[in-house]
Amino acid sequence: MTLQPKNEFAGSLGGTPTEQLSAKAVEIDVSDVSIVFNSRKGSVVAVDRVSFQVRHGEFVCLLGPSGCGKSTLLNAIAGFERPYDGEVRVLGKAVTAPGPDRGMVFQQPLLFPWKSVRSNIAHGPVMLGKSRAEVAKIADGLIDMIGLTRFADAYPHTLSGGMQQRVSIARALANRPGILLMDEPFGALDAQTRIIMQENLLRLWSEFGTTIVFVTHDIEEAIYLADRVLVMSASPGQILRTIDVGLPRPRSPGLLLEPEFTLLKGECFALIKQQSQLAFEQMGAR
Amino acid sequence: MTEGQRGRLYTTVAILSVPIFLVMWEIVSRSHIVNAVLFPPPTVVAVALWEWIESGQFAVDLLASVARVAAGFVLGSIAGIVFGILTGQFPLFSAFLGPIFHLLRPIPPIAFVPIVILWFGLSESGKIFLVFWGVFFTVWLSAHLGVQKVDRGLIRAAQMLGTPRRRLLGEIIFLGALPYIVVGLRTAVSISFYTLVAAELAGAFSGIVYRIEIAQQNMQTGQVLGGLVALGLISFLADRGFAAVSQRAVWWR
Repeated sequence: MTLQPKNEFAGSLGGTPTEQLSAKAVEIDVSDVSIVFNSRKGSVVAVDRVSFQVRHGEFVCLLGPSGCGKSTLLNAIAGFERPYDGEVRVLGKAVTAPGPDRGMVFQQPLLFPWKSVRSNIAHGPVMLGKSRAEVAKIADGLIDMIGLTRFADAYPHTLSGGMQQRVSIARALANRPGILLMDEPFGALDAQTRIIMQENLLRLWSEFGTTIVFVTHDIEEAIYLADRVLVMSASPGQILRTIDVGLPRPRSPGLLLEPEFTLLKGECFALIKQQSQLAFEQMGAR
Repeated sequence: MTEGQRGRLYTTVAILSVPIFLVMWEIVSRSHIVNAVLFPPPTVVAVALWEWIESGQFAVDLLASVARVAAGFVLGSIAGIVFGILTGQFPLFSAFLGPIFHLLRPIPPIAFVPIVILWFGLSESGKIFLVFWGVFFTVWLSAHLGVQKVDRGLIRAAQMLGTPRRRLLGEIIFLGALPYIVVGLRTAVSISFYTLVAAELAGAFSGIVYRIEIAQQNMQTGQVLGGLVALGLISFLADRGFAAVSQRAVWWR
């Protein structure tokens, strides 16, 4: 499994308005967001007054125990969830619905089973009304990048989980979104595949310059990938601490053995351990 | 007996089953145990069938019946799929139409024959309407359930990629539900033949079942049984044909 990044291609996809932003500009502004789920049993506060900002080109990880509302928060940025209170703004505009400026990779690949690899990747550009030639160029470039040229005409169910997730990432990138939202995208993959996928993601990120918000419960994954890790509490989700990773880039799996990495890991672990214990007890109490 | 011997025995018995049935039928009919006029032997049925085909009447009857089934099936299927997608996807449609459809669905379509004759007379549209009515509810229910089984994640993925609402319904949700719809359509094929029988018995001027009824009035029992054989064959072929088509309809499997 190899990803072959191609500089000319990533550039040739054409810039979105975000391209002109300076690296420090705030792209995502989550301010005082609370999300409440109503069910027959009553209301549950999933996210409790969360605020944070993500700058253009940044790689931010939301780290927290399961059920802490981190996916819900990501869904609010995507436009799938409406905040009960507060607001999510992308480039200054309030988010009200999902849109092609925010690509999303889900925990499951969620590829269209009736479409080939190429058609899955081409779906976004086709929907945006790109010409046939443009669509072909974008799809072929991305298929090349994720190293699935031989499988371009294959249907999703014939591919392994890791291959399907690569297609899913390519599909999300095909619209050249300014923001890529990733909801535990490697959670269902085996450990070896996950390491390779993480490395490839970092390479794609540096090629595309996309802003990434990445949800995970894996401490190592969060530190390895992110510029900043936002550690969340158990339900109701709040941001406990922001950890600036500050490890040099480009990063490779060897980083996991460095003392600086271990230190950060220890810091996160102490926070998460306590919260996981809480989350565990909450689940038992339910 | 070894495994292989047993297998060969079963195959031989399966091949002989229909011929043995026909021979026994022939013997019983000709043995005066039963009234041969009421229960004609297969040879007489075969002759009746042959004369029916040779006279050219069979082609006319076949065409009339198949046209009714096809028109009713196509219209009922289209309406069933469209309404199934609407009620499956939009709770408001479901809240309004669901109770009405569930109220009408259990009424056997055949029971509508008297009122259909009053509404449409003995016209073709009345017969097509009956087939439509039988097909519609089955296809509607399968499309409705199929839409609800479509992974909500797929819809989110499509929305995230900028899929407009119309394409979402017509492509993502329709294709997502297609495996279920196809099962409903196949059930509807046999239902359309049941309702055809009712429609033609109620009054027609041609058709396979119409011919059976005329033959009965003329005491042509060979022709009656021949008509039943023809109806069984057509229904069987339609089902098999549809099974072959439906395999291809869900092309990505």
